Amino acid sequence: MALIAALLLACGGMLGLCLGLERHYKQLWHRLPSPMLRRGLRGMGWVLLAASFAVSVHVWGWAMGPVAWFGLISLAGLSVAFLLPYSAR
Amino acid sequence: MKSKSPAWPTLSRIVAALIGGYLFTYAFTAALARLLPMDKVDALVVASLPSFLIYTLAILWTFACRNAWRAWAGMALALPLAAIGFWPQWREVLG
Amino acid sequence: MKHKTLTQSMAWLHTWSGLIFGWLLFAIFLTGTLAVFDKEIDGWMRPEIPATSLSQSAAAQQALGYLARQHPQAKTWNIGLPGERSDTLTVSAGEQRRGGGTALDPRTGEPLAVRETAGGGFFFRFHFTLNLPRDLGIWTVGLAAMAMLVALISGIVIHKKFFKDFFTFRPAKGQRSWLDAHNATAVLVLPFHLMITYTGLVIFYLIYMPAAVDALFDGDRDNLGRALRGAPAEQQVRGERPTRSEAAELTALEPLLAEAERAMGPVSSLSIHNPGRSNARIEARPVLGNRIELTKGQSMLFDGVSGEVLRQPAVSRPSLLTQKVMAGLHFAQFGGYSMRWLYFVCGLASCAMLATGVVLFTVKRRRRHDGEGAVGALLYHIAERLNVTVVAGLMVACVAFLWANRLLPVELAQRGGWEVRVFFLVWLLSLGHAIIRPWRSAWREQLGLAAALCISLPALSLLGESLGDYLYLELTSVALGLLLAWPCWKLYQAPKERAPRRVGKQPVAQVN
Repeated sequence: MALIAALLLACGGMLGLCLGLERHYKQLWHRLPSPMLRRGLRGMGWVLLAASFAVSVHVWGWAMGPVAWFGLISLAGLSVAFLLPYSAR
Repeated sequence: MKSKSPAWPTLSRIVAALIGGYLFTYAFTAALARLLPMDKVDALVVASLPSFLIYTLAILWTFACRNAWRAWAGMALALPLAAIGFWPQWREVLG
Repeated sequence: MKHKTLTQSMAWLHTWSGLIFGWLLFAIFLTGTLAVFDKEIDGWMRPEIPATSLSQSAAAQQALGYLARQHPQAKTWNIGLPGERSDTLTVSAGEQRRGGGTALDPRTGEPLAVRETAGGGFFFRFHFTLNLPRDLGIWTVGLAAMAMLVALISGIVIHKKFFKDFFTFRPAKGQRSWLDAHNATAVLVLPFHLMITYTGLVIFYLIYMPAAVDALFDGDRDNLGRALRGAPAEQQVRGERPTRSEAAELTALEPLLAEAERAMGPVSSLSIHNPGRSNARIEARPVLGNRIELTKGQSMLFDGVSGEVLRQPAVSRPSLLTQKVMAGLHFAQFGGYSMRWLYFVCGLASCAMLATGVVLFTVKRRRRHDGEGAVGALLYHIAERLNVTVVAGLMVACVAFLWANRLLPVELAQRGGWEVRVFFLVWLLSLGHAIIRPWRSAWREQLGLAAALCISLPALSLLGESLGDYLYLELTSVALGLLLAWPCWKLYQAPKERAPRRVGKQPVAQVN
């Protein structure tokens, strides 16, 4: 359960970071984001990643939590990168 | 490197990276283990764990060098390092 | 190699170290990924062992009963306990044998007739020795791991837009897509790649880099072993003189197991020295991985009559702990099933990174493979074939190994050896197939075969009696099969589309 929560948070975080980049925002909405929005998305991304870290540490403890978190954000980033081109039509 | 064949410098560099790099890492690890102001076992572990990083960097450095001579010269640093690492053993041999 | 710039020389290094060792590395990573679930695969390969929900102490009682009946005079009894990951209860008498012993039915305490098999341990052994003689294998794998480190770092150097292209994947664009897929699987999973490669080297660090041993201990391994172990407490008990002792009842195992579990986490095995005598000793060993630290060789000792704790598990000093934590990070025995799944999926991502890397080499050269002279052209043709053999062929061989486990006759002599032979034979056949078929057909047919074998794996359980519970393993196999069916199906469609387009291994390389 906690694993899924941490993974979803990581996915959200990575999505935020991804859409905070001009190129990928344009891919989804076909227009340029305002600098404010971009900063907001990126900020939200970092916050969600931090939340995912907190959940990981809470579940696995300080030793294993970071290990799990690195794995989670890697997979989250990978799924964002590979799914984005297909949702962008 | 006098040879006209273009394969030579490449081969020389590969040998420098693989074997020269290993010897350099070996000497570096020995010297580090000798110099670390710790208990023998601790020094051994602490010096040995980063050795693969050193080896990686040595290999990359060999290939990043402008020419193969420089690469070999860098690897020659292994000699003084080995002298530090194996100082007691060498002193015994020399009498 | 006349390269002016740093990027050019690093690119050269990345390409060649990546290609030459990429094939080897793919084999190492794929079997390593499978070895994450070695015990589960092992259970599947011994379908005669029933699934149980018996407590460990109840199972241990059954084992004790059997041992007392069959080996009342033995000096030592060994019991391998079922646990979270395995239903296997094994017993043996005398010196502990590796993975040996008789499998018992934990419900009745009677021996089970379990088929002889190489077991899930095959993937684990192949992962670090490539089934070569042990020393040669370890050195070969170590060299490949060094090449992986070199390729990773040089790859970072030559990747011009590391952060800008962080999330970039452009499907259906031929070479571009392959490069994107290679970059994405490499960059996003980079912490895992670096961690797993470095910690893999650290497991045998003193074999690979004995410099400090030679300098500080004059290369004396025995001396070093004593220094590493610290107090010789471990040896004392095993070598204890057989003093005079009377018959005595063994203490109840349940509180003892509970105490051991409290101190060390779940217990994997018990050794009982001098059973039934007043100087009986019980040694409990933990399941690897209650912590990240690799607890191999740790144990706790109890008095076999009073149940008193005689020796607590040893605590490692900080420097050694660092090494053990690093080794533990590689073995992934900690954190339970969720961590295991993370390692498995990250391992698959590593495999995808390596596969896209070696495929990229041929995709780049497919159009103009004589651009680098005759040697270059020859190399391209070899690479094209080896890619099929190593990537698709190895997957076929791994599934064929599992099929052999169920299809070879149970009474076959040296059955385990034959399973391994099937693995290598199938792999060899895939090489032959890749040589005689055009590359597109070779990919398509071998991927298709691997997919079909994976998807139909659950059907094998219908063949004979199988008592275990293999739901997750079978679901995973079907899922992997579907994943492989994907590129295979794309390859059927591809010829109709634009020529350079080729969708391959990457499961998500979806076009429509």
